[in-house]
Amino acid sequence: MKTRYWKVIRDLTSDYSKNLMLVLAIALGVFGIGSILGGYAVVNREMTSNYMSTSPASLTIEVEDGISTGLLDSVRKFPGIKVAERRATVGGRMKVDDRWYPILLFVMDDFNQLTLNTFHHLSGATDPVEGAMLIERTSPSVMDAYEGDKIIIRTPNGEPQSISIVGTVHDPGLPPAWQEQAGYAYISMATLKQLGETQDFDLLRIQVSENENSREHLTKQAELLSDWLTKNGHTVHEIQIPPIGMHPHQSQMNAVLSIFTVFSFMILILGSILVATSMATLMVKQVRQIGVMKTIGGTSFQVAKLYLFMILVLCVVALAISIPLSRLVAAAFYSQIATLLNLEITDNSIPLWVPLIQISSGIVIPFIAAAVPVIRGSRISVRKALDNYGVENKNQTGSWFSLLISKFDFLSDTYRLSLRNAFRQRARLILTLGLLAAGGAMFMTALNVSEAWDKNLKRIYVQRLYDQDVKLNDRINSDSLVNRISIMDGVKVAEGWDYSATSEVKESDYEITRTYPDKGHGSFVMQALPLPTQILNPTITEGHWLNTPGSNEVVLNQMARNERTKLGDMIALTIEGKPSLWKITGFTEDVGSSATAYVSLETFSKINSTQGKVKMLRVAYHDRSRDFASVKSKELDRLLEQQQISVSSSTPVWLLHSAVAAHMKVLVNSLLAMAILMALVGTLGLMSTVSMNVLERTREIGVMRAIGATPLKIRNLIVWEGLTVGVISIVIAFAVSLLLSWYMGEFIGHISFRTPLTLTISVLAIAIWIVIILVGSYVATIFPARRANVVTTREALAYE
Amino acid sequence: MENPKNQMLIQLSRVTKTFTVASGQFKALNDVSLAIPKGKLIAITGKSGSGKSTLLNIISGIDKPTEGSVSINGIQVEKLSESELASWRGKNVGVVFQFFQLLPTLTILENVMLPMDFCNSYPKKERKERALALLERVNIKEQADKFPATLSGGQQQRAAIARALANDPPVIIADEPTGNLDSHTATAIFELFSSLAQSGKTVIIVTHEKDFASYFEDMIAISDGRIVNELVNA
Repeated sequence: MKTRYWKVIRDLTSDYSKNLMLVLAIALGVFGIGSILGGYAVVNREMTSNYMSTSPASLTIEVEDGISTGLLDSVRKFPGIKVAERRATVGGRMKVDDRWYPILLFVMDDFNQLTLNTFHHLSGATDPVEGAMLIERTSPSVMDAYEGDKIIIRTPNGEPQSISIVGTVHDPGLPPAWQEQAGYAYISMATLKQLGETQDFDLLRIQVSENENSREHLTKQAELLSDWLTKNGHTVHEIQIPPIGMHPHQSQMNAVLSIFTVFSFMILILGSILVATSMATLMVKQVRQIGVMKTIGGTSFQVAKLYLFMILVLCVVALAISIPLSRLVAAAFYSQIATLLNLEITDNSIPLWVPLIQISSGIVIPFIAAAVPVIRGSRISVRKALDNYGVENKNQTGSWFSLLISKFDFLSDTYRLSLRNAFRQRARLILTLGLLAAGGAMFMTALNVSEAWDKNLKRIYVQRLYDQDVKLNDRINSDSLVNRISIMDGVKVAEGWDYSATSEVKESDYEITRTYPDKGHGSFVMQALPLPTQILNPTITEGHWLNTPGSNEVVLNQMARNERTKLGDMIALTIEGKPSLWKITGFTEDVGSSATAYVSLETFSKINSTQGKVKMLRVAYHDRSRDFASVKSKELDRLLEQQQISVSSSTPVWLLHSAVAAHMKVLVNSLLAMAILMALVGTLGLMSTVSMNVLERTREIGVMRAIGATPLKIRNLIVWEGLTVGVISIVIAFAVSLLLSWYMGEFIGHISFRTPLTLTISVLAIAIWIVIILVGSYVATIFPARRANVVTTREALAYE
Repeated sequence: MENPKNQMLIQLSRVTKTFTVASGQFKALNDVSLAIPKGKLIAITGKSGSGKSTLLNIISGIDKPTEGSVSINGIQVEKLSESELASWRGKNVGVVFQFFQLLPTLTILENVMLPMDFCNSYPKKERKERALALLERVNIKEQADKFPATLSGGQQQRAAIARALANDPPVIIADEPTGNLDSHTATAIFELFSSLAQSGKTVIIVTHEKDFASYFEDMIAISDGRIVNELVNA
């Protein structure tokens, strides 16, 4: 190796603590990028492959009067149809710990001949006999029952019956049961009959033979088939065309991962700023050596190459540390997301492009950042380099800032000098402030968004003044039942509502929705309520709330609103499949609701010819605690059972809160992890800058000591300087965090609720960041301050 | 008979060097002309701020004149670019500093090998051998594998002289090379410079040390940027 490169190696190893900090700064960014992108790459690939492995139906047609074998055969022969199967999905209830929880029962035609929306057999039976069922692997978390156990199931029209769990399957097309707080089971038609249901298969699952990726073609094909079905005397209730080839959570995951990727690059850029500031100070420290090297024959190019080689070594070490670590974290990351999305990771290989991006960004970005100080440093003239004694004195005397500070008589002399010192190297100060402020801003943003998310979730309770939502299978006469519930001990208010799945009627003669097979994701519901209501506190964003019973007013929530709809528009919505015309009078912002249209119960009942009847009960308790709601909901269930009222689902509001919170758990947790990384890079930056500031003033400190400054005075001077920089950065960080929090709140709110999160300032975040910066500044300065005092005055004066 | 001017190794012709300072323009050298032959040990003397270091910087190509020309060994130094100057200086001028300026993270041997590396002046295999020979010449061969900080001031200055000789330059310049050494060590260093001059090198030293005047063949006295004496034996 050339002699000159020994210098680089020795420089790196002789100042290893400083260089370790540089390595850490680069490594953190590369690590973040690798963890996120690695996790993203695997999840993205597995999400698609898992979902596609179920061979999802391109479309589903809900046929009201059942699908016979003969009809299925005819559909299979219909032009443009590749595969057709018949299914039924029934929403039932299961008894867990004396409480009823929702369960989705997927009724299969033939377990041995499944070709569409399939699942993967994990254990036990593959073809459940009558009275038995298979369960989705995530169901036990909600069911508290496993293979071999029995569980009480009650369907809308049947009595509670004990069903054996005989096998377990994995259905990647479904979100985890614990996330939806519902069980999933697969049964035969015989079992459904045993459970007391008379309904037949009503879902035609279809895959088309061509253009399967064109929504337009799918819609056209669905309409052609529906026309044929109608002509042949069948009633088409709904056409479901979920987004093509996309997992129900695909768009949310993409958005979330894109946020993380941006954060990771920000960490790398922050790390690179740190490298740039450190390289700038390193060049200052090395300036005399550069002068000497140029004196003995080194050209600017040769010198620049040396320092660029130094950065290369730092980058390579950083990559060597961060790439393997990031792969471990990526594995943890994709495993967690896989759990959240009910995915099975079949191939855990991280694609080559991930380390390639890490390598290129981990070398290119620090190189670009360090290039300016390195080139400037290596081009310095020999005389200037040899005359260098550390901090340059130009523009020091008489600058407006120095003059201004001299007028602050109320400050001690030491603090005034600290202030001046802090502002001596303006370019470096700006970079340090930028680094700390960016770190602080992102830290505060992460906690602000996390708190805003929590706050938004709490709006679930603010908007819903009821605590229990009971959906019935059949409409009942409301008055007597509602009165009985109202006088129950602990019940504040009870109201009878109605509801229907709905969709906007467009050019098509059919109701076309984007609903997934779980019937939850992508659904649109019409809720009919008595006016005025005492149990809903809607957040009106435009127009006004429903105020005239019997009118055709409709209020849409943000999930039901599209860009075209505006106040005063007339909108055609279906009720039980039949179109009805409504006037939009308001828009609301609901937290945790699917697309909903609110209408007057009176009007709804009139259109539906169900006057005096309701299909939904909403009950508010005096005490809103979870424990109280649990007790009361059991009493309510018992009452309904006594009245022989068939309940479709009974959901306490706290359960909804838990389900929504679980959906974005990964985002909030990861934001906090990012915040910690930011805090780490920011503190490293401050440590680096202050220690460099002190190092290059060693001679000056020697002079101060020679003229009588005590070690305590020197220490205070340096510590105050660090604290000043830290405090300024906090103010900037706070201002920037407001903007970032607003933007992130808009973004995250939109992908999850289609409404921005309220801008929230986390006092805790500010307090933590202040402590981090103050402690960090103190720690960052105390070591260089001690070092300054350990060096003898003679050594300090001789320091070059 | 050859024109004596052609035998001059260093020639400065009407050199002026002006610096811009807070109070305006400052002439560090004012219309200086000078000719130094090969193989001489020359002293530059003068008070602090008189311009002697500037003169040394001009001769070594560390600085360029504002006016006038500088010819060293037939090369017009002021016409060279920064990059050309670095290579030229590495091969033609050995510089010795008051504070030695050895690179702290290189061993003594590596410090001496570094100019050969930068200038690519000797085959790689010969560099170590040559560096050791130079260290032997300045009597610190046994210190070759030590780092500068572990050596005494005198030893460090000997190493710096060995480094200055690495590329076998015809000119050695030294700026107060004994300013940081005790008199005993300073004497040894001056003897070393004297021997270098005897071996054909032109050695120019800025010094305040009157005790060592006997070592010099000539002296250039400088005051307020002007040479105030004539070279006696030039």
